[in-house]
Amino acid sequence: MSADRVRLWTLVVEQALGAPVTIGHVGAVTVTTAGVDAAGVTVTLAASPRESLYSSGQIAADMEDLTTTLGEGPAIDAVSGGPVLAADLSDAWCQLRWPLFGPAAVEVGVLAVFALPLRIGGIRLGVMDLYRVRPGALDGGQLADALLLADTVCALLLDIDIRADGRQPEGAGLQHPEVHQATGMVIAQLGVSAAVALIRLRAYAYSHDQRLRDVAADVVGRRLRFRPERLTDTEGD
Amino acid sequence: MAQPQLADVFIELADTLVDDFDVIDFLHVLAERCVQLLDVSAAGLLITDGQGALQVAAASSSDTELLELFQLEAGEGPCLDCFRTGAAVSVEDLSATEQWPRFATAAAEVGFAAVYALPMRLRTDVIGTLNLFTSEPGALAEDKLRTGQALADIATIGLLQQRAIRRRDVLTEQLQVALNSRVLIEQAKGLLAERLHVNVADAFTFLRQSARSRNLRLSDVAQAVLDGTEQVPIGAPRPGRRSPAPGGARA
Repeated sequence: MSADRVRLWTLVVEQALGAPVTIGHVGAVTVTTAGVDAAGVTVTLAASPRESLYSSGQIAADMEDLTTTLGEGPAIDAVSGGPVLAADLSDAWCQLRWPLFGPAAVEVGVLAVFALPLRIGGIRLGVMDLYRVRPGALDGGQLADALLLADTVCALLLDIDIRADGRQPEGAGLQHPEVHQATGMVIAQLGVSAAVALIRLRAYAYSHDQRLRDVAADVVGRRLRFRPERLTDTEGD
Repeated sequence: MAQPQLADVFIELADTLVDDFDVIDFLHVLAERCVQLLDVSAAGLLITDGQGALQVAAASSSDTELLELFQLEAGEGPCLDCFRTGAAVSVEDLSATEQWPRFATAAAEVGFAAVYALPMRLRTDVIGTLNLFTSEPGALAEDKLRTGQALADIATIGLLQQRAIRRRDVLTEQLQVALNSRVLIEQAKGLLAERLHVNVADAFTFLRQSARSRNLRLSDVAQAVLDGTEQVPIGAPRPGRRSPAPGGARA
């Protein structure tokens, strides 16, 4: 666990004031550490195409509405691509790239949007958006913190049913390739989506008090198999 | 495999760069050519994840122990030093060094005696390192180091994909996409390994063959495999007779 990860998690736990950590707490810490004015988290997993899970306030709520209504903007592009960092929405490049969203955002008073995909390989959970009312790029440290916090949001989304204590969730990003290989194997073993496969792996590690990478190594080494539940398996995407 | 000529490798890599190529596939080819051209035992490319850490983007083999060694080196070792200073690091005899004890022990266990790390530089930024291992101690010849550095520079060009990168955040966007693509490929490898009853290294070979034979990008094939729109890649064995389910714990 990197020092930065621990530092940011400490801030998130402080933000939660003793209550279980939620995505809202991570969002609030992101606003402060990334030096932005607002933040929002939108999920794109379930049947409905976009669902706002968290908005730091009115600006973020307005912007999420705008994105959903217009169907374009950094948050739309980031769901299927990489991070989209638009430091000045009033510049020609942004206005050209998002002809509807660009002018509308400026009208609302938002001049910079940073959309970070909540994505683990082929698993697309959603997007975290950061907003500034003045133009300006995130500096290297702010961007690094925002990416780490976006990873924390991914972890919380995946662990949503199992987290009752204040333990820091394991990161969702690259780190150990066997975790992602094991995810693929569990997809085939259970006949579920990649997201559900990873959720099951993480839940197994959590409930057995093992490191995720060790559980993953057992799956890849074919010492551990996941079996579909006999009862009606209601797990969906 | 016959040792390829330097010129052939550069032509092969340059040819790839003009197509709509897959960056992780490109980096894997580059790592494999490093092993052949530079006469080393293993090669790996580690790139920055924009969060202050290095991640393994590609390696000359899918061997789990090798990948773990690279990952360990992302936290301690010549690779990290090279990344931080932007200067090449040569350790001609790992058994004689007192730096990085964990890394040196792990490398020795896999059978490596010497390690070299070459920076992947973009003007003032270092975006990653090319890492070479040999099983015998000793210095890498000057011409091989120069070739290695040229290959590291080509890896940088490939990662940036012809874009004019003027701002650091655009660089981060690009590297994030590359690393996510790596995760996607690992997921697809696992799925194929399970479905075809092969190991993950063979699954990777099938995935690549499937992409190559139809001129598709590796990550697009990987996504199709995950989405279930691609069942078995061309060239893969049919899952035919099922071997008895392996024993072991059940979840």
